Amino acid sequence: MQLAAACLLCCNIVAANAQEPPAQALPAQEPPAQASTQPPLSPQPQAGPRTSFATHATLFGIGATRQLDTYLSPVNYRGPQLTFIKEKLRPTRLMHGRVSYQGIFQTDFTLMHNPSDNGRCLGGNMRYDATWHYSWTPLPALRVMAGPQLTATGGFLYNTRNSNNPAQALLAADIAASAAAIYTFRLWGHTMRLREQLDVPLIGVMFSPNYTQSYYDIFSQGNYDHNVCFTHPVNRPNLRSMLTLDFPLLGATIRAGYLLDIRQSHVNNLRHHAYNHAFVIGWVKHLGHRKHRDAAQEPFIM
Amino acid sequence: MKPLRYILLACLVLTSCISEEQYDNTPRGNLDALWTIIDQNYCFLDYKQQELGFNWAQVRIDYRQRLSDKMSNAQLFEVLADMLSTLRDGHVNLYAAHDVGRNWSWYEEYPRNFDPLLQDAYLGTDYKIASGLSYRILPDNIGYVVCPSFANVGGDGNISEVLYALRLCRGLILDIRGNGGGNLTEAQRLARRFTNERRLVGYVAHKTGPGHTDFSEPEAEYLEPSPYMRWQKAVVVLTNRQCYSAANNFVRDMKQCPLVTILGDQTGGGSGFPFSSELPIGWSVRFSSAPSYDADMQHIEFGIQPDTLVTLSDDDAQRGIDTLIEAARDLISRSR
Repeated sequence: MQLAAACLLCCNIVAANAQEPPAQALPAQEPPAQASTQPPLSPQPQAGPRTSFATHATLFGIGATRQLDTYLSPVNYRGPQLTFIKEKLRPTRLMHGRVSYQGIFQTDFTLMHNPSDNGRCLGGNMRYDATWHYSWTPLPALRVMAGPQLTATGGFLYNTRNSNNPAQALLAADIAASAAAIYTFRLWGHTMRLREQLDVPLIGVMFSPNYTQSYYDIFSQGNYDHNVCFTHPVNRPNLRSMLTLDFPLLGATIRAGYLLDIRQSHVNNLRHHAYNHAFVIGWVKHLGHRKHRDAAQEPFIM
Repeated sequence: MKPLRYILLACLVLTSCISEEQYDNTPRGNLDALWTIIDQNYCFLDYKQQELGFNWAQVRIDYRQRLSDKMSNAQLFEVLADMLSTLRDGHVNLYAAHDVGRNWSWYEEYPRNFDPLLQDAYLGTDYKIASGLSYRILPDNIGYVVCPSFANVGGDGNISEVLYALRLCRGLILDIRGNGGGNLTEAQRLARRFTNERRLVGYVAHKTGPGHTDFSEPEAEYLEPSPYMRWQKAVVVLTNRQCYSAANNFVRDMKQCPLVTILGDQTGGGSGFPFSSELPIGWSVRFSSAPSYDADMQHIEFGIQPDTLVTLSDDDAQRGIDTLIEAARDLISRSR
């Protein structure tokens, strides 16, 4: 019963950054028992103003990266990496409210060095993921989500001492599969939430010069040669995994976790990989605002 | 069981690594890494093997015998630089903090046909400078323009100023002797002033894989007429063996233009677009990665023959006369 209440608690966080006491957070019309017996997302049409919920998370990460791009160099470069992640999660009306929308903006920057430590490589990457998750509740405290994801990526690698091939553009668009599991539990009198999300691109397109084709040849001479490549899990086995824990601290909700971001490609006989590991930490805000409509928007698990 | 197989297959794909063979930072590892870089990326390997009569696989065997685990970095550098010299390519270099491995035989083994002091004498002291171009009008009303590099010729405005200043001249001598190259776009910007129509000047290709014959379909290269001021009189381009890389391509382009005569010595060549890579020890490697050809799809890696072969006479040089400039003046005078 306590577990069910805790589960529902996390479904109905209204006040931003509150260490929400269970009694206040539970909607009056939904007794705790219902949470374990029926999907909390079932629309309950009601008249009058409703509340729309969204979760915003801001994360900063620091970690290490190991990258290879054979267009620039055949050796691995390593270095520290800084990461910034902005995540927005909100419910939608799709499929009776069982589908949530997640938008993740991720950017990272790195300064790497070669094994002999006499060459440098700068790297930057930006990525936006738009995901629609359908959710299930196999256990009262466990929510499983899965759905399609659209990803757009833009980045660069700049080798500071190469002559005519100093940089590589990293541009891609993917359709990916995303899955997440959220487990809510109470520890030391506080509600905590453990989440693991896995994103795997399935098909997409990416830009790549051909094997020894120069950017001068592509852009100054206009010579196209398979520079937009179809990608799939065999030639671009990428994976992003983020394991995080949300916990209350000093009136705020803190999120900390581990990010594993593996980006690889093998197109036009050019090999690229970036193995990124980062510890991420930031804060979470649960935002709600009144809307004068009777939309079927029940509070949603975030 | 079928779903399990699919899951296992998916796990195998998702956990597979895309990587490249990493060589040890040892004399043997560095030599093998360098040999492989050239073997998989150098665009003239088959052509050079045929023209120069070496076998690249045998080169590795031969140079491995010169290695020793106790050799110093300087000794290793010497061995690796020597191995690259086999290719006889000015675009192939090995860069370390203490030296640059090179083979400059493309001009070192030939007469220079160029004396900067003589050039200075013809320019005088009151010549004009428009960005990368130095110019003056010679006493017989012939324009003389010196372009020592294509690293920075100047903008279209600079070139227009030069042509406008020389507009009343009987012809133009464009002296690019000693020009070791620079940017292809700079070279083309200048060459476009000497054609009134779009001309096929050559072809370019690139490698599409590590195999020796993995090349793209050659793409035609055209010289587009400049929308700005264009030269309509006789032009003589002075060349020597030091005209290399972008200067070599400039001569290729100019050869297709009417009213243009290439005079002097054969150019040095260097028709491969250079790329960079590196060795486990951290030394940079430069090599030709994309070949360009002339309008007849012939290699120009070893240079371009002039229309009129003229060499610098020692007697003339001692008398302060540049044989090539005088021959160009004579040609322009006779062309009227």
